[in-house]
Amino acid sequence: MTDTHCPYCALQCAQRLSGTGAADLAAEPRDFPTNRGGMCQKGWTSPELLRTPDRLTVPLQRNASGSLEPVGWDEALDDVAARLRTMGRDEVAVFGGGGLTNEKAYQLGKLARLALRTRLIDYNGRFCMAAAAAAANRTLGLDRGLPFPLTDLADADAVLLLGSNLADTMPPSVQHLAAVRERGGLVVVDPRRSATAALTDEGAGLHLAPVPGTDIVLLLGLLHVVLAEGLADETYLAERVDRVDDVRAAVAEWWPERVAATTGVPATAVRRVARLLADASGHRGGRGAFVLTGRGSEQHVDGADTVTAAIDLALALGLVGAERGGYGALTGQGNGQGGREHGLKADQLPGYRSIADPAAREHVARVWGVDPELLPGPGVPAVELLASLGRPGGPRALLVHGSNPVVSAPDARAVRSRLESLDLLVVCDVVPSETALLADYVLPVTQWAEEEGTMTGIEGRVLRRRRAIEPPPGVRDELWVMAELARRLDAPGTWSTDPREVFDELRRASAGGRADYAGISYDRLDAGEALYWPCPDETHPGTPRPFADRFPTASGRARMVAVRPSGPADVVRPDAPVWLVTGRLLEHYQSGAQTRRVERLNRSQAGAYVEIHPSLAARIGLDGHEDVVVTSARGTMTAPARVSTQVRPDTVFVPFHFAGDDLVNAVTNDATDPVSGMPELKVCAVTVERAGR
Amino acid sequence: MRVVVVGAGMVGHRFADDLARFAPHAEVDLVGAEPHAPYNRVLLTELLAGRVEPGALTLPRPGAPVRVWAGAEALHVDRERRVVATAERTFTYDHLVLATGARARRLRVDGLDPMPRGAHVLRSLHDARAVDAATEHARRAVVVGSGPLGLEAACALAHRGVPVTLVSASATVLARDLDPVAGGVVGRSLRGLGLDVREAAVLEAVETVDGRVAGVRLDSGTVEADLLLLACGSEPETRLARAAGLVVDGGVVVDADLATDDPRVSAIGDCARTPGGTSGLVGPGWQQATALARRLAGASPAPASVVGGAAMRLKAVGLDVVTEGVRGSVAEPDDRVLAVHDPSAGRHVEVVVRGDELAGFTCVGDGDLAAHLSTQVARPGVLPPDPLQLLLGTSGAAPTTSGSPTTMPAATTVCRCNGVTKGDLVDAWEDGCTSVSALADRTRATTGCGGCRRLVQGVAQWLEQVDPPASQPDPGARERSVPAT
Repeated sequence: MTDTHCPYCALQCAQRLSGTGAADLAAEPRDFPTNRGGMCQKGWTSPELLRTPDRLTVPLQRNASGSLEPVGWDEALDDVAARLRTMGRDEVAVFGGGGLTNEKAYQLGKLARLALRTRLIDYNGRFCMAAAAAAANRTLGLDRGLPFPLTDLADADAVLLLGSNLADTMPPSVQHLAAVRERGGLVVVDPRRSATAALTDEGAGLHLAPVPGTDIVLLLGLLHVVLAEGLADETYLAERVDRVDDVRAAVAEWWPERVAATTGVPATAVRRVARLLADASGHRGGRGAFVLTGRGSEQHVDGADTVTAAIDLALALGLVGAERGGYGALTGQGNGQGGREHGLKADQLPGYRSIADPAAREHVARVWGVDPELLPGPGVPAVELLASLGRPGGPRALLVHGSNPVVSAPDARAVRSRLESLDLLVVCDVVPSETALLADYVLPVTQWAEEEGTMTGIEGRVLRRRRAIEPPPGVRDELWVMAELARRLDAPGTWSTDPREVFDELRRASAGGRADYAGISYDRLDAGEALYWPCPDETHPGTPRPFADRFPTASGRARMVAVRPSGPADVVRPDAPVWLVTGRLLEHYQSGAQTRRVERLNRSQAGAYVEIHPSLAARIGLDGHEDVVVTSARGTMTAPARVSTQVRPDTVFVPFHFAGDDLVNAVTNDATDPVSGMPELKVCAVTVERAGR
Repeated sequence: MRVVVVGAGMVGHRFADDLARFAPHAEVDLVGAEPHAPYNRVLLTELLAGRVEPGALTLPRPGAPVRVWAGAEALHVDRERRVVATAERTFTYDHLVLATGARARRLRVDGLDPMPRGAHVLRSLHDARAVDAATEHARRAVVVGSGPLGLEAACALAHRGVPVTLVSASATVLARDLDPVAGGVVGRSLRGLGLDVREAAVLEAVETVDGRVAGVRLDSGTVEADLLLLACGSEPETRLARAAGLVVDGGVVVDADLATDDPRVSAIGDCARTPGGTSGLVGPGWQQATALARRLAGASPAPASVVGGAAMRLKAVGLDVVTEGVRGSVAEPDDRVLAVHDPSAGRHVEVVVRGDELAGFTCVGDGDLAAHLSTQVARPGVLPPDPLQLLLGTSGAAPTTSGSPTTMPAATTVCRCNGVTKGDLVDAWEDGCTSVSALADRTRATTGCGGCRRLVQGVAQWLEQVDPPASQPDPGARERSVPAT
């Protein structure tokens, strides 16, 4: 029996694994605060992932005829290293993933900077958390997805959930909403009636369905009512928050009737929700309120501003750092939190340090045993990085770890052609993902039950991933792959292949940084301690609620930031009259590379579909379950129609886990948020037609 | 570029703010007569209703290049020397923007010259404070004028507990914005809110005692009142423009680019008469502000402002009225006009469909539908095949209620987290899993979020009755599936 956590999302449901190898591996849920003994079908079926018939077990090399064939590890690594040696700095780029353990993420950032000497590293977490991260940093001084334990939600009188379908993406988390639903305080903001929106039925709360891309306007309207009606926590604002008057003035222009005309959310509902949140807040005698955002509100060209408005709202109500209440972003990927703290982001060094900060460079260089001058400067965010591949002056080689960008990136067919234009593509993966199939070298690596490490879950709590079974012969840990590459590239520094040693180095590198892991050790974690970062030394209990006393800003106070709507970038017009929104299904995770290989999950959802309102379906002459073609200025996709009143009549919804003709990211927009680099995956203008016409 | 903006109301403020963003190197003087920082005039009736706090009206300080001059009334414009003078200083301009707004139209009836105490207009924060103070002791208020301002003010006063008589010169209220059939429904709703509504009424005189309002004399009789609010429309404030020799004709006359006959002078907002007319609503004024700021900054042009058919959204406590675009009474012969007339429920909804788009709508007493229709106007490509559906809004999605375990079809998903149908549970039961925990163990139902626990219990109870465990042939199967814990 081995205690670990699920391989997939950021809820990191606790699992107990039994069995002697992949063949008889079985997973059961374990009681743990985030999943409270629950587990969805993704977790239950996770052992099947390691039994998939096309599991990668030997390195593959593209041969002269263009197909992938087995090759020895030494030969593969020798050749990769030799080809990398021929390239200049910044001709090599690295693309990481939010599913990598902290150890791998840390080591990959170090590999990029010390062995490859490139500034060009970023990761798919840019599509996840970048907007919320930028907003939290500039207002609260710290980006920790949930700056409170998830169990805090149980005390609340109200939860405002924007752009998250957690009932599908992390089902066991719904348990934490039971109490607030009992009190009628769950407010879900989603253009469609998702499974999560349905949780508000029967008096449990309210579902608001704004026009796609207008969440920010709705938030400004809520702020308007809170501030104009005198519902704000003025004592808290005076004591803990700067620049309140900027926001007070900015929202003077967003009265509820105006908000209604833009969002389609009735003015009465705007007022009602604002009052509900205020009455739930501690300063008005409530038991607390939470404002939570997900990708639906964040993946926009004004995503950071949208989240900023959400945080401004939480600040106005005195929630952030309050005993009961707060703002949080619901992290998507398993280690989306840790990945962005320890070096996968273009502008960051371990410990959430800025790579442009001389003191931060000095500290990390000392831990790495190198001259700070050796460290490159900031790179570019993911979308820009992917778009530059193979272009004049752009990278000629790319290393991909734990990501499948030809499915998950916006304007994905353009990304595919960028990858195809590279001189060298090296992909480390568990299965032959769509991206791996384009590679010159595919290196088979361990996953989940086959490895040791740590993950930082949705709450900023560091969790242990533990090995239950031996990986197949021929499969290597990425720490080993990185060490071998570093050695072949004569990189300075030490390159341990032991996760515990790498973690101990990470602790030193993060010490004194915003995400300080110095006091977190495998021993403490294995002893069952619940450790939330920052945790600066081994006697420190960790920090479940980092804003309780002060904000980690220069003044110790939070800072409101006035924002204005600026999206969407791709607006509906006569030749593209319908909004497209995308999202997830309960059965699948991310690009689906893993979950589409699990028979039971794939049986329930084997492909994408186009959720379409009966009125729009009638307009385009659908009378049954025909295929529908969705086209934007970038590309087109085809999938069966699913006629449903759960989507707005002017909007279609398509899940994004699929890679064939039903690849919806061929259609989505790669326009990005100037503040955070977040692409506008969540909304664009399309035409919708019946296939075969 | 030195730009002087005369008038620091909502439109002048927006223009200055936009110009500061589009042309950060411009020097902008925003010159306003009122003694306050620019504020949101639209919310004055909300302030009167007590629904917003005074501090909530202040508009954002425009960006750095803008200097805001409060309490500075522009007295004179010298177009030769390109100078605007206030009592205290002069401002030199390369471009002058007139955003002087409108002033309340004065009625020529007996008793109003001079204005008696107790009689008010409601155009400025100063006015609103005066009305607010008068409200404290008012025994009855008469509101003259049944446009948006009159209605909002009347509802605000009623909300504050003051008995209100609303005097409408037209046969139905909101006559400029609504067709009579819709206006009639609004009148009925106002009465439902306790207002005394006098339609098609002629105000003959204002009665005063010792220089104070004592009542009004209507053609139908006298109403005693100590608070009189005159909301009889507005007229463009053009005195400065006229004195400067600009062409004025029911507003400062501007072309489609918002330029006056002097290329160095533009006019926007309520004071301007565009080729489409004057508006009196903030929406078109803001559009003009942005369009002019873009033009002066040399940025790509903004969409032209729409004056006719601009949306009117009433902000009256207890009353929902929104109208936008084409009304039924001015529809073209081929337009499709559909309406629901439901006066006793206080509801009247009308949509006008032209070709493949919603050309306009009127919504009385249905704020939810109005919000939805607002997002559908002038959007070709998404109109329902039968426009009748527009009258139903998005409410097609009836909330699902938890199904009865007895009647739900076998294919119904009971546990979403683990994809378990009622049929799966029945199969498991027939295999001997005859308790909730045994069902959970076999099918994994209830092991995700646990939200289906009650439903699984219900299915188990139903199976208990229709297919009791004792009736099953192989009791051993039951034992096998009992969980260890």
